[in-house]
Amino acid sequence: MKTTSMNKSSRWLAPLMITATVLAGCASGNSAPAANGQPEATPAADTQEITFAAYSNYEKPLTEAIKAFEEQNPGIKVKLDLAPFDQLVETIEIKLGAKSKDVDALFVDSPLVVNYSVKGYLAPLDELIDKEATQKWTPSAVDSVTYNSQLVAAPMNSSSQVLYYNKELFEKNGIPFPDENQRLTWEEVLELAKKLTGDHVYGFSFEQISKAYQLLALSDSLGVKMISEDGLTATGYSNSPEAVQAFRFYGDLFNKHQVSPKIKKEESLDYFTSGKVAMYLATNQNMPKIRDSGIDFGVTLHPYFADKQIATPTGAWNLGVSQFSEKKEAAAKLVEFLTLGEGARIIFEVGGTLPPQVELLNAINTDPKYEAFPDSILRIAAKESLETAVSRPMTPGYLEWESNINKAFDDIKNGTEPQKALDQAVSIIDNQLKKYKDVAAK
Amino acid sequence: MERKKMLGPLLLFLLPPLAGLFLFKLYPIGNGIVQSLYTTSFLSGDKSFVGLQNYMTLFQDPVFWDSLKVTLLFNVIINPLQIILAFVLALLLNTRIRRIAWFRSIHFVPVAISVPTACMLWNIMLSPEQGVVNSILTALGLPEQPFFGSSAQALGSIIAIASWKGVGYWALFLLAGLQEVPASLMEASSLDGAGRWRQLIHIVYPLMKRSLTFVVVSVTTANFLLFSPMYILTKGGPENSTNVLMLESFNSAFLYSDLGRSSAIVVILLMLTLLAVAAQFKWLKASH
Repeated sequence: MKTTSMNKSSRWLAPLMITATVLAGCASGNSAPAANGQPEATPAADTQEITFAAYSNYEKPLTEAIKAFEEQNPGIKVKLDLAPFDQLVETIEIKLGAKSKDVDALFVDSPLVVNYSVKGYLAPLDELIDKEATQKWTPSAVDSVTYNSQLVAAPMNSSSQVLYYNKELFEKNGIPFPDENQRLTWEEVLELAKKLTGDHVYGFSFEQISKAYQLLALSDSLGVKMISEDGLTATGYSNSPEAVQAFRFYGDLFNKHQVSPKIKKEESLDYFTSGKVAMYLATNQNMPKIRDSGIDFGVTLHPYFADKQIATPTGAWNLGVSQFSEKKEAAAKLVEFLTLGEGARIIFEVGGTLPPQVELLNAINTDPKYEAFPDSILRIAAKESLETAVSRPMTPGYLEWESNINKAFDDIKNGTEPQKALDQAVSIIDNQLKKYKDVAAK
Repeated sequence: MERKKMLGPLLLFLLPPLAGLFLFKLYPIGNGIVQSLYTTSFLSGDKSFVGLQNYMTLFQDPVFWDSLKVTLLFNVIINPLQIILAFVLALLLNTRIRRIAWFRSIHFVPVAISVPTACMLWNIMLSPEQGVVNSILTALGLPEQPFFGSSAQALGSIIAIASWKGVGYWALFLLAGLQEVPASLMEASSLDGAGRWRQLIHIVYPLMKRSLTFVVVSVTTANFLLFSPMYILTKGGPENSTNVLMLESFNSAFLYSDLGRSSAIVVILLMLTLLAVAAQFKWLKASH
């Protein structure tokens, strides 16, 4: 009896054991390199790995800066988690909204500083980085990262815009080049664009198509306030007659005059560098990419509406440390390196970004290197960011405001009547802003 | 005695699927219903019970009603369309014509492509600027179309892409059902003088009800919950014309930090789906 039951069980055991062996074989496959005498690449006990959620546009400067950082700090390894703009904002929202520990350092868009602070995403940096830090950045940069008199992020770069143009296309149409120091009006830009459009070429394109960062320069030029003083009402502001007028101009570029291609933000740079767009209004940090593409280009100042205000976009990326990180000190070290230390210089030099550091700004204004084109673009940007820049609206609900207003801009691009698109957006925004009422009261 | 003996192994076999069902279906549903009765405070992150408040707010919100309309419109069109196309495709795959084996492999290609890849491909092809579809239209002397750029065409374009991708898959199940229809029955009926159409109505259709029910119910639930094409291609626009409830729920949770609203939308969506599926069961069982 016993033998049969033994037989029975061994009959069952055999396939089980085979399966187990196979599985074990698979599992050991991972550690195979250890067998050939090479030590496994497991990090040393005192090495920390921090995750850095960053915007993919900065891949090149960040990779170089992080390499330098890791050389200086052998105990810290940085995992660079890159994503395009929309996905980055969303990833941060999902991960930090769930109090996830797998983000240590992150990119913080200036208008989101308040929003993130209200939600408790950002660890105050006062104790974590150099006490003198705030002296080394411009006062406006420090202002934008201060919440409740605490430093909640560190400014990495600022930005401004210039109007790039393709010299070859201007020559082909017999149009003289715009003067580098003479600001065109939007009306003049439109007239030029009409002349340049044709034969698979569009006269003009924004870089950040349908994005508030860039389009607010239109409403700012008409003196529009997009949101109420307390930051909680958009109705009557974002859909005011002047706002409608400003964004009708935007829609007309695509629909009435058809001088701008209906493409996405991500495609715009390629359209300019491949000669499909003649004038390209874009941030200063596009210069290295445009220069490297080999096209013959020039620049002029950001346009404005005739007889109205001169207003240029500005915006900055800041770096923050997550409140939920378990490696705050290592993360702060990285943030400090990228915003104050050698990393700041690398980002400035490789990325062509406008620095918020006083020392680097002074260099731009005094170093003769920045007198010659195309490096002179940085000097223009520095000047504009001091003299004509208008910040984006201040509201704790900036995320809600921006995502809905961007949708409205895209609808206007696609031909929706501006009044209708903006009315629809403000009603949704105001509904979403209600929840910040008690926050703002505090 | 026999039965009792069977119970142990039976439970053992049923345990994994039951555990999966509970863990991945019933628990999240229950959790969603509970969440929809709470609201999360912004500052402290504390949850507070608000009863049906989330639902009341939803019912007063025009965005919700618009989104509901879009969801219903989307499903009223896409579900019958996909089922009919899948059925026709299955009939075609079941015919004995030359090289049908080739076609059987080719028709499955869209199914094997992931949704995001398919969306990106179609986005490039349907681009209003130099997209290949518009180039073809121009070559044929037809006007260019805006596709995703127009509120009149965006939902239709998404329906087309989702069907292009989905029909081949559902057709497989219907093909299996078709092949179960006994050839002898078809032969006998044709000897009795039944034409193809009458065979289809009186023999094939009743015999296929089981696989048809499965496909109808699966298609419906899949499409009620579908939102990745809208998320990738249109973000709900233009003019909210593709803002289905599932996308609105996603945005509520991850953009507006409003988990209560998001859960309430999901619960309503669940009710809608259940209602639709119950009606389908009734319809497909009635004449049986």
